[in-house]
Amino acid sequence: MTEPKVHIVDDDEAMRDSLKWLLESHGLEVELYASGDAFLAAFNSNFRGCLVLDVRMPGMNGLDLHSQLQARHSTLPVIFITGHGDVPMAVSALKKGAVDFIEKPFNDLDMLRLIQSCLSQDSAAAAARAESESVAQRLQRLTQREREVLALIVAGKLNKQIADELGISIKTVEVHRSRVMEKMGANSVAELVQLALRSHG
Amino acid sequence: MMPNAAVGVFIVSMIVLVWLLQTREFDQQMAALARDVQWAEQTLRLHLQGDREFLQELAHEASDGQLASARFKDRSAQYLAINPHLSRIDWIDADKSIREAVTAASAVHEAGGPLAHPEQLEGFLALHGLDRPVYTKAYSSSHFGPSFEILVPVRRGPDFMGAMVAEYTVSGILGYLVPAWFSEKYHLALSGEGGQLLAQNAVAHPRNEDLDYSLDFDPPGNGVQMHVTAYRTDTSFAKELPILLIAGLSLLVVWSLWSLRNNLARRIRAEDALRAESHFRKAMEESMPTGMCAIDMHGHITYVNAAFCNMVGYAPQELIGAAAPYPYWSPEDQAQHARTLQRTLAGEVPRGGIESRLRRKSGGLFDARIYEAPLVDASGRQAGWMASVHDITEQRRARAELEASHQRFMTVLDGLDAAIYVASLDADEILFANKAFKNIYGYDAVGRNCWQVTSACHPDPARFIAAARQLAPHQTPLELHEAELQNGLNGHWYQLRERAIQWVDGRVVRMEIATDITDRMKMQELNSQQLERLQQTSRLITMGEMASSLAHELNQPLSAIANYNMGCVNRLQAKDFRPEELLAAMQKASVQAERAGKIIRRVRDFVKKSEPNRGPVQIAEIIEEVIGFAEIEARKAGVRVSISISPELPAAFADKLMIEQVVLNLVKNGIEAMHDTPRKARELAIRARANGKDFIEVNVADRGHGVLVETAEKLFTPFYTTKPEGMGMGLNICRSIIEFHHGRLWTVANPGGGSVFSFTLPVNSL
Repeated sequence: MTEPKVHIVDDDEAMRDSLKWLLESHGLEVELYASGDAFLAAFNSNFRGCLVLDVRMPGMNGLDLHSQLQARHSTLPVIFITGHGDVPMAVSALKKGAVDFIEKPFNDLDMLRLIQSCLSQDSAAAAARAESESVAQRLQRLTQREREVLALIVAGKLNKQIADELGISIKTVEVHRSRVMEKMGANSVAELVQLALRSHG
Repeated sequence: MMPNAAVGVFIVSMIVLVWLLQTREFDQQMAALARDVQWAEQTLRLHLQGDREFLQELAHEASDGQLASARFKDRSAQYLAINPHLSRIDWIDADKSIREAVTAASAVHEAGGPLAHPEQLEGFLALHGLDRPVYTKAYSSSHFGPSFEILVPVRRGPDFMGAMVAEYTVSGILGYLVPAWFSEKYHLALSGEGGQLLAQNAVAHPRNEDLDYSLDFDPPGNGVQMHVTAYRTDTSFAKELPILLIAGLSLLVVWSLWSLRNNLARRIRAEDALRAESHFRKAMEESMPTGMCAIDMHGHITYVNAAFCNMVGYAPQELIGAAAPYPYWSPEDQAQHARTLQRTLAGEVPRGGIESRLRRKSGGLFDARIYEAPLVDASGRQAGWMASVHDITEQRRARAELEASHQRFMTVLDGLDAAIYVASLDADEILFANKAFKNIYGYDAVGRNCWQVTSACHPDPARFIAAARQLAPHQTPLELHEAELQNGLNGHWYQLRERAIQWVDGRVVRMEIATDITDRMKMQELNSQQLERLQQTSRLITMGEMASSLAHELNQPLSAIANYNMGCVNRLQAKDFRPEELLAAMQKASVQAERAGKIIRRVRDFVKKSEPNRGPVQIAEIIEEVIGFAEIEARKAGVRVSISISPELPAAFADKLMIEQVVLNLVKNGIEAMHDTPRKARELAIRARANGKDFIEVNVADRGHGVLVETAEKLFTPFYTTKPEGMGMGLNICRSIIEFHHGRLWTVANPGGGSVFSFTLPVNSL
């Protein structure tokens, strides 16, 4: 897990440098890339934070880079910087899942607000991802019989019905049930069901 | 053939004859030789016989005992004195001792001595059983050279009592026994057994080895041989005379035969040539369209040719022998014909011939021109007159037609607005000028020097006259030169076209057609003024388009400045800064401010309005400025721009801003054309180089969608566009601008995709 950073991709050196200067004044970590290729070369799925992309660049432009990242299942939020008259381009970028766009020249506060929201979105997503991962790990710890019992609990069956269905005694079902609750870390049946559904959803 | 064979046979028979003569001569000589030799041999034998008889006489006396020594010596000495060929006479006893010896010269042989030579002894021993004399073999005596002996036995009854011996010297035999005339004539040699030479008479003369005779000399025999060879006699003139005569006569005959042969060949050739000539004349006479008619001194027709008969329609036999009035005289002109004939017979012949009207047998009349020439026979006396008759009816008609057509031609040429004249190429003399030409340059133009006459308006002759003078008639007609010039006299503009044509007399001449294009020129001027106005409009349109790009480009430095600035503000507010950090950021901000300033300056330069102002401009400079301007757009569209400019490219004569506009337009079009091209292939190549020595060519090549051949021309028409938001004025104006500069703008497909737009500009020649 790496530290959240603002990744900036822009071909104009002055633009890059000045943005870094500005964002650092707000206490943000900034990483600069001169082109989409340079960013892709450095990219891995552990990247945290957000990506600020210039739409118009020679070689790979901002939109191209965005699609490439989506192809790699990146969840990094993306902000596009557009120039005058690039609005249609920005709209299509939004449709493809970018967080927002900002038109040059921009107010530094607007930019900051956008970046902040992106960063929090990213950390929330990261937390959710972490929880779903832990549920999955807990499910792994269940035995075959416990998993069958869990499935029937989630389906809303009563202990008696579960015992009939699996051909075991009610007592045994109760033992399995308490084991499942313990292993999954659930305090109630409702919580258990929520956890189970999240792991499948 | 025959003369050759005759000459050959003659030469062979002469050779055989001479050979026969020679052979006969040789045979005669051989016979004479044999006769002489036999005679000589006979003489020798007689001598030898005489010697034997003398010795036998001595032997006889000795056997009777009558011979005393004194008598032997007396007789022998006497005999030796008259027979010099003998060297010695000996009396030998039976015991082989020499009893008595008499020698011709100083005595060597002592009486009582033994026999000196083995040959003597051999001969002596041979005598014993014989009753006849014996000759010894030849031996070499110390005093007398080769010698031999005759031995005659002395017997009393059966008793052998010795021998009488005489010694012959071979040289003595040759010197004394052979007569002088024989020695003069022949070479005589004696050879002994085995062929060794014993003696020979003096070699006085060269020998003729062909005339040679050999025989055994017997007695003495014993293998002695006599060889006789004739001396080569001096060839006497008298003897050779017949042969020389024969040879001389033969040469004479051969020469005469040869010249006869040549003469014959010449004659045959001459006959052939005569025959050919006669056929040729006949054919000429038959084919000639000119009628020939001869009359004698009295006016009787003596000859007519086929053409004449065809002309008048009479057969030759109807005409020959006829006297005046001839049947072909036209009845109404009889009197005139008669007068003409009288004059002709009197010798008054007009040099240019006489034109007269003749009548055909069928009744039709025709015009003829008749030339008379005196007919002179082989002896040089005039025998009559030869008339050549030409039917000139057709000729007259053709001439009339030609005149009419010439008249029409002149009417047409004079009716033309274009001024036309024809001048010779060698002297530049005006041969013909039409009315329009004369109206400008005066009616006395024909015959004068064309350059003087047209000095107010003519192209530079140096550019085509030299080439025109090289032309052969079959290479005409040929366009030589074309120019548009203003006439200094009337201020009109003319399009001058120089052509080489073949003149009526066959030589190559130059024709100039000057078309008045004043109105067209005025229209053109008007058009270019309009275009200029249009172009100003277009410049404004282009500016509007560019403004959007510029705004975008300006965002870049402005945003950067704002960022640097706010970064500084934030740090200052938070009181969390290092001064050098702030300084660096502010310096960076001012660099960006400068960048924005440059962009704005470029816009100002572009917008600056100015009148067309042509002057020397460097194409490289123009391209550089346009690229400085267009690179924003190129970058935006992801297009790489490559520039290649030939080194030492001369300056163009152009309005810098206008050409910048053209280049910018082409560059923009190229960039836009590559909208759908894969990014990697987006390349715009700009190239400038010399086109000939008078023009500079600029190409702008893109890798875009290209231009279809059928739309290539439409591209340049107003209001045609392939762009959704285009007005269709760009390329049209570009072309107008380039044409205003006397250049050319065109497009071709780019090999490998896309299109190339090119234009030319004149080189600055000021």
